Amino acid sequence: MPGLDSLHVAPLRESQQLQALRGEVRAFIAEELRNGSFRPAIDSWMTSWDSDFSRRLAKRGWVGMTIPTEYGGHGGSFLDRFVVTEELLAAGAPVTAHWFSDRQVAPSLLRFGTEMHKRDFLPRIANADIAFAIGMSEPDAGSDLASVQTKAVRAADGWRVTGTKIWTSHAHRADYAICLVRTSPLDVTHRHSGLSQLIIDLHAEGVTVRPILSLNGEHHFNEVHFDSVHVPDSMVLGQVGEGWHQVTSELGYERSGPERFLSVLLLLEDLLAAFRAGELSPDGQFGHLFARITALHHMSLGVAGALANHGSPDAAAGVVKHLGTLTEADITEYAANLLEPQAGDEDVRRVSVERALLSRPSFTLRGGTNEILRGVIARELGLR
Amino acid sequence: MSVQDLSVDPELVGLFNRVMGDWRASRTEPGVKLEADPALWGTLDELGLTRLTTEADATWLEAAALLRAAAKAAAPLPLAENDLLGHWLLAIGDTGDREGTRTVALLEGSNEAARVPWARFVDGVVVLGRDDEGWYVADAPARHLSIRPAWDLAGQPRDTVIIDTFSLQRTRVDESVVAEYRLRGALARSIQMVGAMEQAIEMSAEFARDRYQFGRPLAKFQAVQHLLADAACECALARAATESAVGLIASPGHTSDELALRVLVAKSVTGHAVSAVVRKTHQVHGAIGTTLEYPLHEFTKPALAWSSEFISVSQANHQLAQRLLTGNTSVWTAAVPLPAGDRE
Repeated sequence: MPGLDSLHVAPLRESQQLQALRGEVRAFIAEELRNGSFRPAIDSWMTSWDSDFSRRLAKRGWVGMTIPTEYGGHGGSFLDRFVVTEELLAAGAPVTAHWFSDRQVAPSLLRFGTEMHKRDFLPRIANADIAFAIGMSEPDAGSDLASVQTKAVRAADGWRVTGTKIWTSHAHRADYAICLVRTSPLDVTHRHSGLSQLIIDLHAEGVTVRPILSLNGEHHFNEVHFDSVHVPDSMVLGQVGEGWHQVTSELGYERSGPERFLSVLLLLEDLLAAFRAGELSPDGQFGHLFARITALHHMSLGVAGALANHGSPDAAAGVVKHLGTLTEADITEYAANLLEPQAGDEDVRRVSVERALLSRPSFTLRGGTNEILRGVIARELGLR
Repeated sequence: MSVQDLSVDPELVGLFNRVMGDWRASRTEPGVKLEADPALWGTLDELGLTRLTTEADATWLEAAALLRAAAKAAAPLPLAENDLLGHWLLAIGDTGDREGTRTVALLEGSNEAARVPWARFVDGVVVLGRDDEGWYVADAPARHLSIRPAWDLAGQPRDTVIIDTFSLQRTRVDESVVAEYRLRGALARSIQMVGAMEQAIEMSAEFARDRYQFGRPLAKFQAVQHLLADAACECALARAATESAVGLIASPGHTSDELALRVLVAKSVTGHAVSAVVRKTHQVHGAIGTTLEYPLHEFTKPALAWSSEFISVSQANHQLAQRLLTGNTSVWTAAVPLPAGDRE
């Protein structure tokens, strides 16, 4: 029977090479900040799109790090990527423009893509020249992903796709979307079969992208309609009918990463500055939140190590995401409670805290709700 | 090499678990007040396991595995006090004949120490004391001790000890030893807390599978699943933080600052986890978990008691906040420090 040990990952100590890489990224960020070439922001992996910044990172070799050199990448390890992304997120750097391609799409293409996919897309991902969106959720398929209804039907030399994807972040800026679609009718006894992944050109005829504004007025979500959109056979990712397996086999990458606990780290940095300036008095809660961030870093690093060793630490990744996103929400609350009535709109802390408060509902929803994650953990404990 | 080998010989872990399992199978049911078990201690002593780091050429990795096994069996023993604290201090102070079982007491300005663990059981108390000239280590054999029995909330012996320090030979030590003593004690307690939490969660999952209400096992109620999932997550994070600190202390060349950071983080996270795990595992058990006859309390009570020892959760949190405030790093570079030379 599975048990508590399946939530555990072996601790990892960074090698000198990884520490040197961290040092390089820190130096790069310090230089960028001195030049004023980006403004640190909370939630910068979801909402800070800056193609120029992404290209500067790409020039350093920090986009598509795990892509083999023969496909224009850098042949680095998953740990190299972990270290670089952790440093960038901690600094609130604008990484959205390459984030989804770098995190999910490149690994998926490497694992399931054809030689043509790899030759065509991977070099452009590594150069931060193209962006991908991820088309998973639908109006009637949120947490229950197996109930997707977007249909792909056989047509001459390919497929015709009809349906609607929703919560598709940055589809209005992306070039392609990797979509989970139904290629065979739903079989209620085998709900996970009959699904496939298609790479869809978002500029193709029949694609409509409608913005969905977030409650703070920002635009990253979209609703994407496909009206009999033609997708050539060559744009099927992996095997027809294997979409569910392909999507769920890579959840560890999406769940354990630093974006699950560092989205609002800047709030703690702002508070530390205020404590040092004597504007506020530090208390134990500050130490508590710092301890949780540090522990989450260690556990997330352990998960990255397991992934680099081709393990499947899905349950441990779920722990990081569940507790990490709750910690983000707690940090937001702590910083909000320390705001003073007289702090005006020009107050640095107020600006960040208010953005965080308005973004917070999504922390514990996106990429698998915390309730879904608890169900995953409960299964590991033999309770389901 | 990027992955530090923190594994302990599985045969050794198997031995730890077997010894603890055999003991538990034949022990008498514990009451409210506990005493150290001399027979179990004798068994461990014969196997050379009571002084893993100070005599047996093992490291904190093996010592942590033994502490975990003992905590998961609720074995009442001064394992941490004897090896990781008492004999460690004796070796630093180069004091005493180093035979026999020890516990430890911190003495500041008086001859009386409260809440000395297992004092009535040991051959001597290693004193970490302060006098007019500063800090010293001294080995106080039982004949120099006057012991008034007392117990902590888990019923573990935490005696009041009056020590005849006048005739003791004192070896001077640096004040940094006091800080390290507290950190080592806090880390040992974190390891024990994780072991106790794991046992409480595993018992609760088993209980939830076996206990039927409304025609189905408790485990099938989503509310119960979520209680235990949350408990298990907190425990997993605590284990990660604690193992990270154990990995550091077991590796040569770490600085005292690095150790302080890791241990304070471990104690903070583990203490927080204990609070959640104790509440949730009791909630799952219902009334039976509140009784002396049902063994859940053998794990939840020590976890609560250990939580406040050496460095309390609140002290850990405040010390971390203070370190950040007086340091010159960002929050992030304090959490993930780089060796000097690699800094920006």
